[in-house]
Amino acid sequence: MLAAASLTDVLPRVAEAWTRQGGAPVHFSFDATSRLAPQAVEGAPADLFFSADEAWMTWLEERGGVVKSTERRFLENTLVVVVPAGAPAPSGPAALVGVAKLALAGENVPAGRYAREALEATGVWAKVKDHVIRGGSVRGALEWVARGEVGAGIVYGTDALSEARVSVAFTFPEDTHQPIRYPAAVLTASRHPALARAFLDFAAGPQARGIFESAGFTVGEAAKAPGSAPHATTPNPASAVRISLMVALLATLAGFPVAVAFGWLLARHDFRGKVVLSTVVLAPLVMPPVVTGFLLLSVLGSRSPLGRGLAALGLQVPFTLLGAAVAALAVGFPLYVLTVRNAFEAVDPHYEEVSWTLGVGRRRTFLRVSLPLAVPGIVAGAVLAFARALGEFGATVVLAGNVEGRTRTIALAIYTLLEAPAARRDTWILVGASVAISLAALVGYEALSRRQRRRLEVRGGG
Amino acid sequence: MAGDTWGGIRMHVGVPLAAHPLEVSLETSARSVAIVGPSGAGKSTLLRVLAGVEHRARGEVVVDGAVWLDPSRGMVVPPWERRVGWVPQEMLLFPHLSVRENLGFAGGSDREVEETAALLQVGHLLDRRPRRLSGGERQRVALGRALLSAPRLLLLDEPFSALDRALRKQISATVRRLIVERAIPLVLISHDDADTRMLAEEHWHLRDGTLEPL
Repeated sequence: MLAAASLTDVLPRVAEAWTRQGGAPVHFSFDATSRLAPQAVEGAPADLFFSADEAWMTWLEERGGVVKSTERRFLENTLVVVVPAGAPAPSGPAALVGVAKLALAGENVPAGRYAREALEATGVWAKVKDHVIRGGSVRGALEWVARGEVGAGIVYGTDALSEARVSVAFTFPEDTHQPIRYPAAVLTASRHPALARAFLDFAAGPQARGIFESAGFTVGEAAKAPGSAPHATTPNPASAVRISLMVALLATLAGFPVAVAFGWLLARHDFRGKVVLSTVVLAPLVMPPVVTGFLLLSVLGSRSPLGRGLAALGLQVPFTLLGAAVAALAVGFPLYVLTVRNAFEAVDPHYEEVSWTLGVGRRRTFLRVSLPLAVPGIVAGAVLAFARALGEFGATVVLAGNVEGRTRTIALAIYTLLEAPAARRDTWILVGASVAISLAALVGYEALSRRQRRRLEVRGGG
Repeated sequence: MAGDTWGGIRMHVGVPLAAHPLEVSLETSARSVAIVGPSGAGKSTLLRVLAGVEHRARGEVVVDGAVWLDPSRGMVVPPWERRVGWVPQEMLLFPHLSVRENLGFAGGSDREVEETAALLQVGHLLDRRPRRLSGGERQRVALGRALLSAPRLLLLDEPFSALDRALRKQISATVRRLIVERAIPLVLISHDDADTRMLAEEHWHLRDGTLEPL
């Protein structure tokens, strides 16, 4: 079963009740509707689809992805503004203008679209749109509110109920947005259509009703509302390319002295804790970037001592270009350090010894011999880190968000576009840019590596 | 520059080499000493101990009255304070620097660099990179680099091996003249009897991990 992310908590409980009554076990894939719908059309092996809005259901109907006669609408949700528990709560839409950062789900994600509709209907969109931080799914926005990284967020009423660290400031009136209904239907590709229908009947029935209502949903059959086309705000490809290059360049330059220092330390020195140090440095290479991003947010977020200290210095990390650069650097740093270490290790230590005997001390020997001999390899490391920074996604979306014109890099823009299947052309422009820049970087890396080897080829002989 | 009196070398060191540990004693007041012996005996390691770059060395090294390595206090004078002119067998010219920059690495003036280059017959190569030198040319540049560091002790490891017969004679004569003129003590490793006869007053033989006077 493919189901909207906002049903994550409740549907398994319904399925449990269904199984207890002898129904077949159900397996779920929860994600943003905007990602599930294309999967359903591409032939995901699933039977049933719970959409978070009409637009995507219509989209599926048009592509023959669902059996139209099986469509049901019996679940409704509300749209609320939440604040971190204990924080001052805005009394109504007008008060949102004073909120420094307002978290929303992505603009093509239903929750993100409903939120924009509601803000437009209440006349505050133009005033708050520059404070908006877009997350991926509605759960991402909720997490930022729960951690106090943002002043407020717009999420579903059911999400607010499931998260103890937030409190509801107010609920948007129903007439400010399209009804938040969850149309459900059997997929055309289903191999168990009868079973899928039976589950739908059960979910719409009295037993499931109690479960849904306890989770904050409203239950009641409704007809299909007049469809609304997804009004996607398309990411600007030029801005994404510019931000990507800036983020990657910033990460590469800021990381340069650190990578050289660590690379040198690991190549030429033995010390207690070397294994620990190299493990910590290399960890992001094998950790999921999302985990790296989460840890970075914990360490550098506005509620951590370090994050507060940096903010006091005017260095705001979360949701800024700086944050995107930090995320990109953290994930690219292992490659950076490894390449620099290899470059130093390739330099015959005997050159340094000769320099010492010529009366040149350690520090000046490093500057006059080790560093210049390793330069092509070090620059190759920088190029590799640059390329990795360009490809960064997971850590960036968690630490820096997906803010158009500020932190939306090529990778984030492509991700956003994939949720709006209409924008094929821009997607291809960005994919092309991404591939071109990455390949150019790799070609540069190869050339520099070769140069490093050539530089060290000559020694002795005779 | 070394004075007229030379306190000699006293060295009792052990080096835990993987193949066969080296335990050597060398006491000499000769100004020029040749060390001969089969290859792989550890001759180059002895020069590394004197140069101060052999970290595994344990024991005592006293050169011209100065304690460089002390077994009781463990004191080590770092290589950059020893002022030895070390020419390793591999020469190790800095590949990113020109001949001129290699020669002047320790800080000789332009005039000194050019004079030394002329003496060693590499004056026409000053702007080349080591990559484009023959083995014999590299040896002479390495020799010049060591001489230009105003050494208190010269350590030469097979310094003429890549030179042809005629040039070998000329260069070793030049070196001999320079070390006498400048009163630079010398420790020389060479396979060639002609070299050692021309340059060394005293000969030591290193075999099976021990050093004995010949």
